[in-house]
Amino acid sequence: MLSRSIYFYVIMAFLFVVSVVFVNHNDAFYDRPIAEVTKVKQEDKTEVTDQHHNTDELFTQQITAKLKNGEAKGETIHLQNEYSASGAYDQAYQPGNDLFVSLDTDKGKNATLTGKIIDVKRDKYVLVAAWVFVAILLIVGKRQGLFSIIALAINAMILSYALDIYVKNSDISLLFLCSISVVLFTAISLLFLHGLNEKTYAAIVATLLGTFLSLLIASVVIWATSESGLRYEEMQFLTRPYQVIFIASLFLGSLGGVMDIAITMTSSIFGLYEKNNAISKKALQTSGMEIGKDIMGTITNILLLVYISGSIPMLILYLNNGSALTFSLTMNLSLEVARALAGGIGIVLSIPVSLYTSIFFINRKRAKS
Amino acid sequence: MTVQVVLAAILFLLMVLVGGKKGVRSFFTLFLNFLVFLITMILMTIPIVNPIIVALIACTAICSMNLFYINGVNMKTKTAFISSMITIVILISFIVFITSKAKVQGFGEEVIEEISVFSLHVGVDFVKVGAAMVILTAIGSITDIAISIVSPMQELFHHQPSTSRKELVRFGLSIGRDVLGADTNTLFFAFLGSYLALILWFKDLTYSFGEIVNSKVFSAEMISILSAGAGVGLIIPITAWTAAYYLVKK
Repeated sequence: MLSRSIYFYVIMAFLFVVSVVFVNHNDAFYDRPIAEVTKVKQEDKTEVTDQHHNTDELFTQQITAKLKNGEAKGETIHLQNEYSASGAYDQAYQPGNDLFVSLDTDKGKNATLTGKIIDVKRDKYVLVAAWVFVAILLIVGKRQGLFSIIALAINAMILSYALDIYVKNSDISLLFLCSISVVLFTAISLLFLHGLNEKTYAAIVATLLGTFLSLLIASVVIWATSESGLRYEEMQFLTRPYQVIFIASLFLGSLGGVMDIAITMTSSIFGLYEKNNAISKKALQTSGMEIGKDIMGTITNILLLVYISGSIPMLILYLNNGSALTFSLTMNLSLEVARALAGGIGIVLSIPVSLYTSIFFINRKRAKS
Repeated sequence: MTVQVVLAAILFLLMVLVGGKKGVRSFFTLFLNFLVFLITMILMTIPIVNPIIVALIACTAICSMNLFYINGVNMKTKTAFISSMITIVILISFIVFITSKAKVQGFGEEVIEEISVFSLHVGVDFVKVGAAMVILTAIGSITDIAISIVSPMQELFHHQPSTSRKELVRFGLSIGRDVLGADTNTLFFAFLGSYLALILWFKDLTYSFGEIVNSKVFSAEMISILSAGAGVGLIIPITAWTAAYYLVKK
């Protein structure tokens, strides 16, 4: 057993080294020119105050960089960068940074290449973050950690595949695809993490019931109030009808929390039954509800914090540009708050749903034996 | 009546039906957390205030409410509190390091048109705001795991006071492993819900893989979700050690 886990860690370390080396030398795989900053000269600094009395500092950098791919590979390029101290949409560059650039066609009078900075090459940092996550999960979680990573990866692939189908076939409804994906996500996550057994089956049934019920409630509420209070205009990255995307996001967003409740509930209830096969239905109900009460608050909280925290940068921009607080909040948080509340409803509902599903499965087991 | 008011009323009703008094308290805590969020955000708009310090104070407030207000002040909640704070400090240094390296602060080119009416030079350090944001997303799950590890550890020690520190740590880690998958899952799907529109945007506008991975919005999202996940993993050994140290010392 010991030698097997050593093999495993050696393979992981090998993969780590190979991927890091690759991502630092993958410039040839990109069509866009990439340049590495070699020298930076700070030119001037100006203080600016905008019409809302925000003060900031603006800087200009003259950058010398070396091209790392394309026909001009190895040549030096001169770039200029303007950035602010706050860095909402710009940043300072340091030697060693890799940048995507565009090349100017005519060379300057010194016959040196000039160009513009388009973006930063970020792939290596995403990779580092991914490895930190994987390493912590594997070291702390061992087998369960590995299984969680595999389940997350498979789920991400399923989602990507489902969305590909949606993008290519506009006649298939997004909600239909999401429903199928939700069933797959639930089955894969719970089976991977908890194995093939009665309590997992009960948790899968409870999760699906809980999620679909909460979606139904949310849809009815949205329909009955004719969407009042939902400010879709601030929804970002829209290429599609927004209502459908919003409903689909409600659906997916609460799934993890509902699964968490369902598996915690079914595990504890099956645990009680296994300890004492003769336990009464009443006793199971009371203990089950007790467990549910303890966890529902924290999980709803997790959802709320995840949803609303993402809007912080945008809210700061609104408020510092003189927008009123209530206006900024309704514009930026109306969808997030609705999503968190709908998720909370799913989470609380799945407590009795999991309880009765478990009791149903236990009764069936009792009838068999 | 707005959608939010009706949904909140339904949620309140359900929480009371399922949880009774505890349900009322849970609902009230949600509300308080939202208030803390508001105050935090307003403080962050002031340029001279360091967003990371504000986030640390906000985390202390959220942790205290979720632990002490719901479960009372006792050894369990105190240990969970200390472990959460240690994890938060470690996590914050990692996030500041990686966001400033990857330059994923602020806004991506995809939203720049939408915010073109605004002045972007608002004097607030967006690298720190970004780090504060990730910490606030992760704090909920971190305290949740901390308390779910400490409680059974204390139970075990209570029933078998002769348990050694090493055995306690091992027990704590095994409990942590059981909840790890569920909590990373909760975070994963919550993020998915938030960014479904973004994924569709990439697909509709046929971004290449290289463009997606290097774009600011996507890498910012990945870094947030992975750091939050790393925090969820990190809290497990930290809680197991802290609780074992505290229990056996007595």
